[in-house]
Amino acid sequence: MKFGGTSVATLPRWQNILELVASRRAEGARVLVVVSALSGITDALKQLCAQEDKGKRIEAAKAIAQRHYDLLDHMQLAVPDTLGARLAELAQLAEDGPSLLGELAWQALVQAHGELMSSALGAAFLSHSGLPTQWVDARDCLKAIALPNQNERTKLLSAMVETKPDPALNARLAAQGNVFITQGFIAREELGRTVLLGRGGSDTSASYFGALLKAQRVEIWTDVAGMFTANPRQVPSARLLQRLDYEEAQEIASTGAKVLHPRCLSPLREPRVPLLIKDTNRPELDGTLIGPEVREHAPSVKAISARKGITLVSMESVGMWQQVGFLADVFANFKQHGLSVDMIGSAETNVTVSLDPTENLLDSDALAALASDLAKVCRVKVIAPCAAITLVGRGMRSMLHTLSTVLAEFGQLRVHMISQSSNNLNLTFVVDENVVDELLPHLHELLITAGALRTDDSALFGPSWQALYGSGEVLPPAASWWRQERRDELLKIGAQSTPRYVYHLPTVRQQARELKSLAAVDRLHYAVKANTHPAILKALAEEGFGFECVSPGELKAVMAVVPESAPLLFTPNFAPREDYAWALTTRATLSLDSLYQLEQWGELFRGREVVLRLDLGRGLGHHEKVRTGGSGSKFGLPVEQLDAFLRLADTHGVTVRGLHAHLGSGILDDGHWGEVYGQLASIAERIGSISFLDIGGGLGVPSHPGEARLDIAALDKVLREVKAAYPHYKLWMEPGRYLVADAGVLLTKVTQTKGKGNGQIRYLGVDTGMNSLIRPALYEAWHEIVNLSRLDEPATSLFQVVGPICESGDVLGTDRRLPEPQEGDVMLVAQAGAYGKVMSSPYNLRDEAEEIILA
Amino acid sequence: MTTNINPRLTQVFRFVRCSYADGVAELVYAFDHGEELIERVRFPHAPALPGTHQAAFDQALKLLHLIAGVSYYKAGVPPRIEVVGGPLDGSTADLLDALYLHGLAEFAYRNGLDLRGRIAFPRGGDVLPEAHALNLPHRTLVPIGGGKDSLVAVEAIKSIGGEATAVWVGNSPLIAACAERTGLPTLNIQRELAPGLFELNRLGAWNGHIPVTAVNSAILAVAAILYGYDSIAFANERSASAATLEYDGQQVNHQWSKGYTFEQLLGDWLHQHVAADLTYCSLLRPYSELAVTRAFARLTPYFDVFSSCNRNFKLLGPKPADRWCGQCPKCHFVFLALAPFLAKPRLLSIFGRNLLDDENLAPGFDALLEYQDHKPFECVGEGAEARAAMYALSERSEWQEDALVSRFRSEILPQLHVAELALEPWLQPAGEHRIPARLQRALAFFA
Repeated sequence: MKFGGTSVATLPRWQNILELVASRRAEGARVLVVVSALSGITDALKQLCAQEDKGKRIEAAKAIAQRHYDLLDHMQLAVPDTLGARLAELAQLAEDGPSLLGELAWQALVQAHGELMSSALGAAFLSHSGLPTQWVDARDCLKAIALPNQNERTKLLSAMVETKPDPALNARLAAQGNVFITQGFIAREELGRTVLLGRGGSDTSASYFGALLKAQRVEIWTDVAGMFTANPRQVPSARLLQRLDYEEAQEIASTGAKVLHPRCLSPLREPRVPLLIKDTNRPELDGTLIGPEVREHAPSVKAISARKGITLVSMESVGMWQQVGFLADVFANFKQHGLSVDMIGSAETNVTVSLDPTENLLDSDALAALASDLAKVCRVKVIAPCAAITLVGRGMRSMLHTLSTVLAEFGQLRVHMISQSSNNLNLTFVVDENVVDELLPHLHELLITAGALRTDDSALFGPSWQALYGSGEVLPPAASWWRQERRDELLKIGAQSTPRYVYHLPTVRQQARELKSLAAVDRLHYAVKANTHPAILKALAEEGFGFECVSPGELKAVMAVVPESAPLLFTPNFAPREDYAWALTTRATLSLDSLYQLEQWGELFRGREVVLRLDLGRGLGHHEKVRTGGSGSKFGLPVEQLDAFLRLADTHGVTVRGLHAHLGSGILDDGHWGEVYGQLASIAERIGSISFLDIGGGLGVPSHPGEARLDIAALDKVLREVKAAYPHYKLWMEPGRYLVADAGVLLTKVTQTKGKGNGQIRYLGVDTGMNSLIRPALYEAWHEIVNLSRLDEPATSLFQVVGPICESGDVLGTDRRLPEPQEGDVMLVAQAGAYGKVMSSPYNLRDEAEEIILA
Repeated sequence: MTTNINPRLTQVFRFVRCSYADGVAELVYAFDHGEELIERVRFPHAPALPGTHQAAFDQALKLLHLIAGVSYYKAGVPPRIEVVGGPLDGSTADLLDALYLHGLAEFAYRNGLDLRGRIAFPRGGDVLPEAHALNLPHRTLVPIGGGKDSLVAVEAIKSIGGEATAVWVGNSPLIAACAERTGLPTLNIQRELAPGLFELNRLGAWNGHIPVTAVNSAILAVAAILYGYDSIAFANERSASAATLEYDGQQVNHQWSKGYTFEQLLGDWLHQHVAADLTYCSLLRPYSELAVTRAFARLTPYFDVFSSCNRNFKLLGPKPADRWCGQCPKCHFVFLALAPFLAKPRLLSIFGRNLLDDENLAPGFDALLEYQDHKPFECVGEGAEARAAMYALSERSEWQEDALVSRFRSEILPQLHVAELALEPWLQPAGEHRIPARLQRALAFFA
């Protein structure tokens, strides 16, 4: 069991260690505890080493001693002899300085005292607390081995240790007792000098001991429960990895995870000693267990990581084709300039390599010198700043087919290099660095939706980081109105006739009120395209919403239902002239989104106030992927045409009163809106006439089980911050789906079933499909589907839920676990309140779904 | 505000009054007989003013009132200017006529206006008495803009152990972060525009570029007397004096108030009318943008906080894209000017992307090179300077294959004389400056 610096720095943390060790002891295990120095002590010792003045060194040693006295005082323990001897030795070393031992050996010995002292202190505390504990000097157990290429510095300050099992050591310890404590980070070399193990040294010591003793298990106790499917700082929804094999874990550790140093896994591989990562503060969590490969799990991507600051050097020359020694010469240049190559990708006439962000690369002329040497033999291009995005999982090549949506995402980016090693553990894409922060959470999500990262396998994947450590409370999934209180009613409605859409108005109102709680937002418009049912329009008008319409038809439908006082917005896209002309006769605020409208029809708008819909696109940075921004999208005026638009507006006496930008849909990250809002505001400052900013909608509604809801309180905070910076603009939003999606369900009945491929694939037919609900076919949208007639029966088999339309894409849901169905059972498709009925079609001339309102 | 006047149809712009109490200066203006427009400038922790400094302070405040009026005057550009306190003396009227005409030249060009003959401050007032020396403390106000220039100025003064305060006007978090990184004492002065100006904008006021450096200079002159500083050291380069374009016989310079002409006018005026021992100068005046970027390239600790991008980042994030929009001429110029002096991966890590490898930015860089376009309306270096930097990169293997460098080599370079593209001459100091003897040792920083 290994405990780090913060775990050994205070009395409560030592009491925690005592409990954990005692519980292992109670399980019958014999325990060896490996400890780091008290937090801050290693740094203090390094500073002592750097101090040339003897007096100051002695002072420093005294301060370090005092830290240990203070902790002992807290423990109400006298200074044990073992610790006293160490402190005396340290004082002597401080007094002597490096001259006797030699600089490096002296440094190693001084720094080793951090662990020597903490372990001595620990032995005293544990023994005194009723757990007799033997102090073991790690230097008597771990033997550093001499390696070729080692200089004096690496030999003394980052040594490697022999890892062959040592039965003699087992026997020696067995004779002494059952609980031991020793030091991380230190060993002894053949001349008898004390050496250090370098970065990650304490974890590595634990591994060495595990290997030497052929331990039942190595436990690394730290401040987090283990490795995650992604860096939680980048992807808060990253899941805890509960089970990994050594190679996968090593790959994840080397590509980004900081919890474990990659080098501490290799000593354990051959003796097949498992390593368990545990959270000291939350011992009840399973943690990550790393062991030999397990075959009974389906292949799955285990993690996605990103490393930034990568520089690519692309070398192009026909001279390399079939030339012996060409690459050897090229790589000699890298060696000569002290640049270490990481990844390599090659074609017949091109070799591209990646360089990690070292100081030599960033702050010296090394790269310039390299490039000019290489330019003598080939064309060189330096591409930076890049980031390497790596997917890790055993059997990566067999998973490629599941990655299609993920690969499609890369299709929209500049991918400079793809690398896949023969160990089949990873797949790496090198892309522009600036897309990574947004891309990573998105890819993580896509991997889950694509079934490539099998979070449904609870043996492999634990809870999300957000759920375990996230700030604030984790929002529970909203209870569905149809599951409990209105279920019987829905069964009756379904029994009468299907297909039917049913809308639950209280849910609409509840969502509306939640959005009204956003204090920073001055006006909310319902984007009526999501659902134009009059009862919903009326309910939202009563809640004080305005209405955003995209066609004269929508405007007419809204004006027929809502009171005169409800504000209207008209935001068409590529609409004919007469739509604008007609809209100008209504009270709607009009939005323009191209130069054409003013160039060709300018006089139509003379004297009017309009809203300008902008495409923030790549112009302001980071939205390449967002579907309604960027030159791949038909919406909005590109920012670079803004000046031209304003001149035209001036010419035609048109006042631009508001700016509008829309990001896209289904966005669950609250930071997005703040960013769009901030960008719009900074543009508005250049235009005198602006009084409001419309940041659109796109508020996400989670569909998959376990997906976190949009955090309205966090969104509110983000918006209030921007508002405080730009108080002179009113803030508008136009949510659509958020208000109505959960309020609607589609009821349909089971028609027939079918099995194919020896019953491996089972189809469950229902009486409507893509003609009523096209989202699954159009956007691969995921809707929960339940058998409402058998909601309480166990879900036993996997079904493909299909409709009656003559299209192979008429599938409402794939691989859904449902109870055995019977013809006539009422099936419910959830979250069908938005873009359901409004997008339905008469295709195949099947009856259209009726709409029923539940008040 | 309830006025419903169309600002473009107003007849008189009036300097109504100015006052100061408890650290707050109030500057009052009006169009015709419309409502008063009241701007407030807040000086934090303002000390009590010694009686000996009162006359100097009053003169500085009066000048601030006259100069800051440019933000409001431009909303309507009425034919007449009226100063309620009475006509100005000749030297003051000259200063203001020049400032309003040249400082608003870009504004006029862009709005299709001709201000020649329209701007005439009332003159004929009594000649002001000659100012005395006030024995101001030997310390310097260094305005911080968040960009490279002021940071170089700070480090130059620090290099000779000069006593200085980092000062800025407004509440930009980016500038605050840079000021903090300098390690100097800081002074943050707040300027609150009259709310009525926003209303005028809504009613269709003229809009455009104003000589904001002049306004900030006048604010700092007041601050120098109030807090006691004998020098104000801006960071305006030699190239700031170069015109952006000439139009209809008039030179239009986006950075006129950063140019040497204005520096002389204001410096002399402050000497004569405020305090004989108050210096107003630019520490970078003898240097080109390239010489300054070369000096800045050594200042690694600022790389992750500074930005010369002129998009107003009121909200700061940790990413390069949160400080550099990558689209504006400032981003393009600073990228290009730093490139010859920094390792390429380091430069790219500052900007978060490689602007010279993005074909879509060709028009932007062309304008900097004054190739098929005029220099942009921005505080950027001269075309010849940009060409020298680009030429230097085109000779370097690690840059040659980048889209815009490669395009320069094949399309633009053949039309240029290589002899005129050397980088070296740009790194030498040249031309006049007004740097006081006390600070001249700091110029060694640029060697």
